[in-house]
Amino acid sequence: MPKTSVTPAQIENNPQAHEDQHVHAVYDKIASHFSSTRYKPWPIIAHFLSTLSTGSVGLDAGTGNGKYLPLPLDRPPGSICTIGLDRSRNLLEIARTAGADVDEASTIKCMPREVIWGDVIGKGWRDGAFDYAISIATIHHLATHDRRKLAVKRLLQCVSPSRGRILIYVWAIEQDELSRRSVPTESYTKNDSLAESGMGPGRDVFVPWVLSRQNTNNGKLKGKLSKDPLASRSNVTDSTQSCTNGTSIEVTLMLGPDEPQVFNRYYHMFAEGELVELVRSAAGDLGIHIGPIPDQTLSSGPGMEWKGRGLEIVQDGWERSNYYVELRCWEK
Amino acid sequence: MVRLITHNLLACHVKNCTSNNFPLAFKDLGDTSLPAEQPDMIDDEFLQKLHHVLLEIHVEEGSMVCPNCNHVYPISNGIPNMLLAEHEIG
Repeated sequence: MPKTSVTPAQIENNPQAHEDQHVHAVYDKIASHFSSTRYKPWPIIAHFLSTLSTGSVGLDAGTGNGKYLPLPLDRPPGSICTIGLDRSRNLLEIARTAGADVDEASTIKCMPREVIWGDVIGKGWRDGAFDYAISIATIHHLATHDRRKLAVKRLLQCVSPSRGRILIYVWAIEQDELSRRSVPTESYTKNDSLAESGMGPGRDVFVPWVLSRQNTNNGKLKGKLSKDPLASRSNVTDSTQSCTNGTSIEVTLMLGPDEPQVFNRYYHMFAEGELVELVRSAAGDLGIHIGPIPDQTLSSGPGMEWKGRGLEIVQDGWERSNYYVELRCWEK
Repeated sequence: MVRLITHNLLACHVKNCTSNNFPLAFKDLGDTSLPAEQPDMIDDEFLQKLHHVLLEIHVEEGSMVCPNCNHVYPISNGIPNMLLAEHEIG
């Protein structure tokens, strides 16, 4: 399988404008093709959703094509209700009918999906309104450490303080060998990125999405990613050069009719330990104690008089090129 | 779809709009099957009405208005738009 090249990215002065150009606009353009390649739920996420009690209502912050909205599939439709939030209107149009094909084949009527057009750093819901929240492959699209932290704070605020459950996935610097992407390692070290950006560890990169004309013109989508993007590189602005200059990338207009279009999506690739540190920092800002659920049977001892909000890190790890963390809220 | 179960979770998030900011008001929903106050006795008839209102009413086109600051959140093609302009973000 050909590897797509990832190039270093610099954030322009306005992170919102950076995300608008290098994330939101790109997803709106590649929505159909992107969706056709995103259909298989990841096992840890499917398992998390299958363990939620019937009647739970949750938020999927950055739902994309809504592939997690129909889950769990091993229980009756509507046993839980996941509401999808995304910044890309075109992806939401697809998410509205997520899982419809599966349901048409069965006798059970498809439950139309609930979706909201919004930003994951916005707060268009009541505090503590949700029983659970997931944010899968989304927070890595935010352009600064503060904005990524704000996104985690929004997740902590949107769930029940006494029992809310949260699952977060982000892209890792450490990519497995099955990954299609090759990541530049020479020009970046952790210290470099720390010193230059002041945004902590991790790497800011552009990841090309190759959209062949076949996928844009006749509407018939192939569930496959890309030919080698290097083949089209000579016809487009040199993306490496553009990135290091901090200028924008214009790739769409100078291609011939049969040339694939290349869209560069911005990612912040997380370093080892960075996601858990981000959660700790977000919780700290909200005055939430990090630690396991205290043993309620103990009535005395150090700290037993303390009352407040807590957060247990249930599990964290690396799976198939992503870091994940599962959280559970508690109050006493 | 915007079902009312989803609408029931939403709140206005315009800068400094932090109290009396939900529920967002529909201009004209045309459904009066539920009483204004929670009844003393929750019976099957009430639960059926509640189920109907929460899960069977879909709003495809319309708008929701913040009771506090009057910000309008439009709904089109069944998708509510909760995005704010840059100057409205708190």
